[in-house]
This record gives sequence, structure tokens and C-alpha cells, in this order.
Amino acid sequence: MMYKQLVALVIILVISLCNNVFAQAGDDFSGVWTNNPPEENRGFQNSALRADPPPMTPWGQARYDQAKPTFGSRSVPVLETNDPVYECFRPGTPRIYMHPFPMEIIHSEGRVLMLFEYDHVVRQIYTDGREHRTDLAPMWMGDSAGHWEGKTLVVETVNFNDKTWIDREGVPHSDQLRVEERIHLDDEGNLLIDILIEDPIAFTESWTGQRRYRRVGWDIEEFSCMDNVNFVPFEEEVLNYEAN
Amino acid sequence: MFRLTFNTAILASLLCFSIQATAHHGGAAYDGSLSKTVTGKVSKFHFINPHVLIYIEVEDESGGVVEWSGELTSPNRLARMERGSTTSWSKDILQTGDEITLSGNPARSGAPSLRLRKVIDSNGVVLVGGD
Repeated sequence: MMYKQLVALVIILVISLCNNVFAQAGDDFSGVWTNNPPEENRGFQNSALRADPPPMTPWGQARYDQAKPTFGSRSVPVLETNDPVYECFRPGTPRIYMHPFPMEIIHSEGRVLMLFEYDHVVRQIYTDGREHRTDLAPMWMGDSAGHWEGKTLVVETVNFNDKTWIDREGVPHSDQLRVEERIHLDDEGNLLIDILIEDPIAFTESWTGQRRYRRVGWDIEEFSCMDNVNFVPFEEEVLNYEAN
Repeated sequence: MFRLTFNTAILASLLCFSIQATAHHGGAAYDGSLSKTVTGKVSKFHFINPHVLIYIEVEDESGGVVEWSGELTSPNRLARMERGSTTSWSKDILQTGDEITLSGNPARSGAPSLRLRKVIDSNGVVLVGGD
């Protein structure tokens, strides 16, 4: 009897120690988060990572000039856009943050999951020390690997295709895009995501942006991209109206 | 430390909503510099993604009836921002035949359609927007 109790105590201690080690990996970001931009970012937070277009190379500028976004100073009606998201392709990283719907963060052993309400996009950020995959073709959302630096989760995402946009205003990127995110909490409990963009094909220099979120007690509801497609007849009706 | 009062928070939310009325696209199809208000009876109410649509039948100057449409943000967002209040949005918040008032930016094409900024129900309750 005494022996069994001792074994049980040891097991409890080991589990407790493991959980403690896991918990100390960084801050707990669990929960549902919604955009909470500072005043100076409100004018563009639903469509861009920064107020003005970033410094682009001729390659990047040419792609930018070809883009027909539905947001920003060059916006066109939905029926005239060439934004890949309207064909229900994945928005890409970091663009997914600019769709104005909440996201849920779920901590799992060896992974941090981001579940976005928009089209139920899921990002898997591996924190188990693995390297980036080298066996996969370029992806819409890229390949994310993270590690903890104190309470900050540092995420590097690479292996993108060149079909998505950085934002909803048509800023392009190449397949050489590298996105680094530093995800942490501020003193008021806001979730801050500091984003570094590097892409020598598209931009003349690296540049940054920041997203800020507040924790809410909401549920992640359904939002299917195909509903956008179903909405097209209404948009056609409005855009192509001819008075009798 | 500055703390928002409840009323300030509500006002801030409404202001935020009025600026970001659409979620899946920009407002290029509508003229943001113009405002139009119409009153009529609800003919259809679609509480759907990506945008809630309200249709009302409006009597014109010659006595005819014109069906106007109004486009809002997603039902998810409308439900969340009003959750727990008397103006919480749901699929049943408007009924066919309700006399309501819609205000917003008119379509550039001249279509009887609004990007909605304000919705007032048959009891005079503001469901979206404000002064």
C-alpha cells in the first residue's frame, strides 16, 4: 500500500514538473482575440500593414501596378478585382490578420494553433524545435516554425508561393518572402504581433508592421469564403444597374 | 490610467462600425460622399455571410413602389457587437412588413441600394449607427 502511494506521488510530481516546464515556455495566449488597433493604425488596419506602400523593387512595383484591390486608394468594385482571395484562395501571412474577424489561439504541446474565423483558416506554428520542411512545394500560408524567447513567441514563416498579397491593397511578394513575428502580451493584456517583412525580390529593404488584439469572450463562428462567391449576383445587380 | 466608461465604449464601437461597415470588400460600388435615407416595409431580410441584406419597399413620388436594398457587415459581427443588449442582432430581428428606416451611401450606378450606416426599426430603436 505504501509503495503504491509512493509511485502515485512520483507520477504526480513528474506530471506536475512537465506541465510546469511547458507552462514556463512563454505567456499563455489561449483564447479568442479581436483587433484592437491603436488610434494611429485605425485608418488602414483592415486593409494594410502600414499606412503607405512599402519600398518596392521594380519587380514589386510592376506587380503592385497590376493589382486591382477592393481596398485602399486604388480600390475597384468586387466584380473588377483580381484579388486572389475572391477566388477563395488562402489569404496568406500576414494578410490573414487584416480580415476583420476574430481568431482563437490554442496552445498544444509542441504547437501553437491559430484558428481564424475567416474561412476557418488554421495556422500551425510548430514549437517543438523542428526545422522548416524542405519536402513541400510553396504554400499559400507558408511554413511556420516558432520558438520562445522568454515570454515572446518568435515565429518564422517561409516557403510561400508568390500568388498571395501581403495585404488587401495589392502589395505583392515573391516566393522569397520571409515573415518574422514576435508575439507577446503588453502590460494591459493586449496581444501584440510585431511583424518583420523581408523579400529581396519584391522590396528594396525589410519593413515592419504591428497588429494589436484584445481578448474577448466570443465564439469563433462560421464564415465560409464561398459565401462571398454566392454574394456575386447581388454585387452584379448593384454594379450593372440600368434605370428603366 | 484612462478607462473607458461603458457609454464611451458603446459610442466607440458604433463609430468603429460606421467606419468599417463592410468586411469582405471595400466600398467602391457606393458613393461615400453622399447620404440617402429611405423608409418602407421590409420585403426580405437575409441574415447571411458575408453581408446582411435588408430589402424594403419604398413608395416613390409618383405613387409607385421601389424595392431598395441595404448592405451591412457580416451577421457574426452584428451579433457580437450587440450581444446582451436590446439591439442584439439575430436572424429574427426584422420581420417582413416591419416599417423601418435605412440610411447610407447610395450606389454609384444609380441602383436603389445603400451601403448602410444607420438602421432604425419600427419602434424607433436604432439598430445600427447613430448621430
